[in-house]
Amino acid sequence: MSTQVHANLTESQVEQISDDLGEPEWLLETRKEALAALDDLDMPEVIRTPGRTWTNLDALDYESLVDPLEYAQDKDRVDAEGVEVLSWSEALDEHADLVEEHFGSVVDPQRDYLTALSTALFSAGTVVYVPEGVDAEDVKIRTTMNSQSLFNYTLVLAEESSSVTILERQGTGETTDGDQYYSGIVEVVAEENAYVQYGALQNLSEETYNFQVKRGHADTYATVNWIDGNIGSRLTKSSVETRLLGDASESQILGAFFGHEDQHFDIGSRVWHEAEHTVADLVTRGVLDDEARSVYEGVQDVGREAWDTSSYQRENTLMLSDESEADASPKLIINNHDTEASHSATVGQVDEEDMFYMTSRGVNPEAAKNMLVEGFFVPVLEEVQVDELREDLDQLIYERLRE
Amino acid sequence: MSSDQDHLKETDTEKRFEFKKEEKSAFEAEKGLTEETIRVISEDKDEPEWMLERRLRALEQYKEMPMPDDWPGAPDLSEVDVDEIVPYIRPDIETRGGVDDWNDLPEEIQDTFDKLGIPEAEKNALSGVGAQYESEIVYQNMQERWEEKGVIFCDMDKAVQEHEDILKEYFMTKAVPPSDNKFAALHGAIWSGGSFVYVPEDTTVDMPVQAYFRMNSDGMGQFEHTLIIAEENSEVHYIEGCSAPKYSEFNLHSGGVEVFVKENAHVQYSTVQNWSKNTYNLNTKRAICEADGTMEWVSGSMGSKATMLYPSTVLKGPGATDNHITIAFAGEGQDIDTGAKVYHNAPETKSTIESKSISKDGGRTNYRGLVHIADGAEDSSTSVECDALMFDNESTSDTMPYMEIQESKVDVAHEATVGKIGDEDVFYLQSRGLDDDDAKQMIVAGFIEPITEELPIEYAVELNRLIELEMEGSLG
Repeated sequence: MSTQVHANLTESQVEQISDDLGEPEWLLETRKEALAALDDLDMPEVIRTPGRTWTNLDALDYESLVDPLEYAQDKDRVDAEGVEVLSWSEALDEHADLVEEHFGSVVDPQRDYLTALSTALFSAGTVVYVPEGVDAEDVKIRTTMNSQSLFNYTLVLAEESSSVTILERQGTGETTDGDQYYSGIVEVVAEENAYVQYGALQNLSEETYNFQVKRGHADTYATVNWIDGNIGSRLTKSSVETRLLGDASESQILGAFFGHEDQHFDIGSRVWHEAEHTVADLVTRGVLDDEARSVYEGVQDVGREAWDTSSYQRENTLMLSDESEADASPKLIINNHDTEASHSATVGQVDEEDMFYMTSRGVNPEAAKNMLVEGFFVPVLEEVQVDELREDLDQLIYERLRE
Repeated sequence: MSSDQDHLKETDTEKRFEFKKEEKSAFEAEKGLTEETIRVISEDKDEPEWMLERRLRALEQYKEMPMPDDWPGAPDLSEVDVDEIVPYIRPDIETRGGVDDWNDLPEEIQDTFDKLGIPEAEKNALSGVGAQYESEIVYQNMQERWEEKGVIFCDMDKAVQEHEDILKEYFMTKAVPPSDNKFAALHGAIWSGGSFVYVPEDTTVDMPVQAYFRMNSDGMGQFEHTLIIAEENSEVHYIEGCSAPKYSEFNLHSGGVEVFVKENAHVQYSTVQNWSKNTYNLNTKRAICEADGTMEWVSGSMGSKATMLYPSTVLKGPGATDNHITIAFAGEGQDIDTGAKVYHNAPETKSTIESKSISKDGGRTNYRGLVHIADGAEDSSTSVECDALMFDNESTSDTMPYMEIQESKVDVAHEATVGKIGDEDVFYLQSRGLDDDDAKQMIVAGFIEPITEELPIEYAVELNRLIELEMEGSLG
C-alpha cells in the first residue's frame, strides 16, 4: 500500500465535520478510530490471477482527490407517508439511539482503507427510518455532486413487517476541474418480515473515481433486494452484498452496466446464506464498448447451517469492441449439501444471426445493433419492479447507444 | 459392465493400495534441501553439467518464491516442510534406468507391482508400462513395433544421457519454467525419474503408453518429471497412475509434466491419482499446443491430504483445441483444490472443460479454473461445466472460475451446479431392492461416467473401485 491520503488529513478536520453535523461523541470516536486505522488497512480486495491484477486501486492519487472540508452537493429527498427520510443532523437529533445501535452494524467501518476513509470523512447522506408495520411508498434520493470529493453515507432501518422502496440517483452537477472522488456506503437493516428494495443508478461524470459498498442484513422472512445500475464514472469499484441471517430470508441482486471509452467497472455481487430456507438470485448484464473494461465477481456462499438453500447466479457480458475486456469470476462456496445452487456466465458479442435476420428485414445495421443491445438488457430490466428506475436506466442505455 | 464386475472380484484394490513394505535402499539422500544435496543427486545420476546448473538455478528461485497460500480458500500448506523430506531415494537394483524383463526385477518390487495389478496390464499386451518405484523408473517396456518407428519411451534419467539435445531444448524451458511457481522451482531443483515420450512425425501410437508411480517410504518426496513430445501429425495417449500407502509423516509429491503438441498432433494425458491421505500433491502440468493440435487432459484426483493441481494448456496455434475432463473426490480431512487453465493465444482455438467433484465426510473440493482469451484470439470458444455432488453438510464444495476475456469475437460460457445426492433417486433405487449404500454408489458411478468412459477399462475399473472404497470409508 502506497498512496496514503492522510498527509493532508487531520483529526481536527474530522472533528470539524462531526461538529458541523452536530454529532454525538460516539460517532466522532468511530470516525477518529477509522482515521487512525488507515495506517494499517489495505485497499479493498481485488481479484488477482497469474500475472494480473484485475483492478488497480493503488494507482489513485487520493491525496490530490480528497479535500475533506470542501464538500458540496444538492440533495433531493422525496419522502413518503409513514417513513422518515432524514439528513444525518436530523436523524441524530430525532433518533439518536437507533442510529447508534445500527451505524456500522452492517458495514464494518474498518473493512478496508476506502471504507474507513469514508467513515472518517462522510458529510453527506441520509437515514431512512421505516417504523414497524409501515408500508411506505417510494422514497427518492437524488445526490448531485458539486465538489471534488464527496462522501455519502446512507443508513436504512426497516423495522418488523415494514416495507419500503428507495431509489437513489447519483450524478454530477457543476463541473469541477480534474478528477473527482465519490464514495458511498449504504447499510440496510431489514428486521423480521421487512421488505427493502434499494435501487441505485450511478451516472457520475467520467472524471469520477467511484467507490461504493452496499450491504444488507436480512432477518427472518425479510427481503433485501438491490438494483445496481452503473453508467457513469471513470472507475467504479462497487460491492453489493446481502447476508441472509434469518430463516426464509431472501435477496435479489440485479446489476446492469454499460461501459464505453476507457471506463472501468469492478462489480461485486455477493450473498451469504447463513440460515435455513434462504433464497438468492443474482442477475447481472453488462455491455462494453470502446476500451471499456468490466470486472465481475459473484459470490454465493452457503454456510454450514444453511439447510434447504436455493441460490442462483447469472452473469452475461456483451462486447461491442475488440479493445474492450470482460473479466469475470462467479464463485460458489458451498458448505451445506442441502442446496440447490447454480451459476452461469457468458461473454460474447452481438449475435451474427440476429443481426443478419434484422438487416435482411430492412433494418440498417446500426439500428439493428442498437436494438439488440437494448434487447440484451431486457432480462434485467424486466426484473426491475420500479417503473421509474427501469425507465431511467433504459433511457440512459438508449442515450449511450446514440452518442 | 459384467466384465467390470468380474475384474472387481479378481482384484482386491483395498489390499493393493494399503500394504507397505520394509526394504533397504541403495542410496538415500540426506533430509532437506541444500546445494550439496542437489550436487549429490546430480552426481549420482551422472548428469551433464548443464542439468546441474539448471537444478541449482531452480533452487535459487525456489528460495525466493512465496508459498501459494494467499489465494482465496487455498489449502493449508503450513505442514509442508521441505527440510523434513527425503528428496531422493534410489531403490536397490543393479540396472540403472530400468530392466527389460519383468522377471529380472527384485522379488519384493515384483511383488509390489503385482499387488498394484501392473503386470496384469502388461500381460494384456498394452504397449508399454514404465513403473516408477520411489524416485526411479525400475521397469519399462516398449513394444518393438513402436521402437522401430522411432517412438521413444524411457525414463527421464536415461533420456538425459541418451537424448541430451532434445532434453536441453525442452526440459523446463518452454512449458514449465522453474519460475512458474514455488513447487515448480522445487521440482526443477530435485526432480528425479519420470517418463520421456517422443513420437516422431506422422506416427500414431494406437495403444496407451503407461507409467505408474508409487511412493513407498516414510516421509519422502517424489518429484518425477514427464516430458512428452508429439511431432506433427502424430498421436499418443499417455496414462499415469500414482499411489502411496499411508504413514504417520507427510509425503510430498511435486511432479512436473510438460507436453508439446505439434501441428495437427493429438495427445491425451490421463491420470488416476490416489495418493495416501498424508500426501501433499502439488503438481505443475502444462501443454503447449500448436496449430490444429489437440490436447486432452483426463484426470481423476483421489486421495492426498491436499492437492493443488491445475493442468494447463497454451493454445498457441490457430485451430488448436484443448479438452479437460476432471474428477475430484474428497473424503474426511482432504482438500482437493484442482481445476484447469487454458490460454487462448491464437484465433479459432477451442476449449472445453468438464469438471465433476464429490465431497463427503468433511472433505473439500474446489474447482479453480482460469480461461484467458487473448486480444486477437478471435473466433475462439470455450465452455466450462462444473458439477458438484455433496453428501453431507460437513463437506465443502467450491467453484472459483476466473475468466479473462480480451477479445470480443468469442463465445464464452461457464456453468456450474451444486447439489446433494437426490433423495428421489436414492428412493427409486431402494424401491428396486438396492440398499442405501449401493444406491448411492450407483448414482455416483453414473455421475462420473463421462470420466470413466475416456479411460481404458483397467483404469476405469480402478477409478470406480477407488470411489467405492472412498464411499465405504475404508481407504486411507
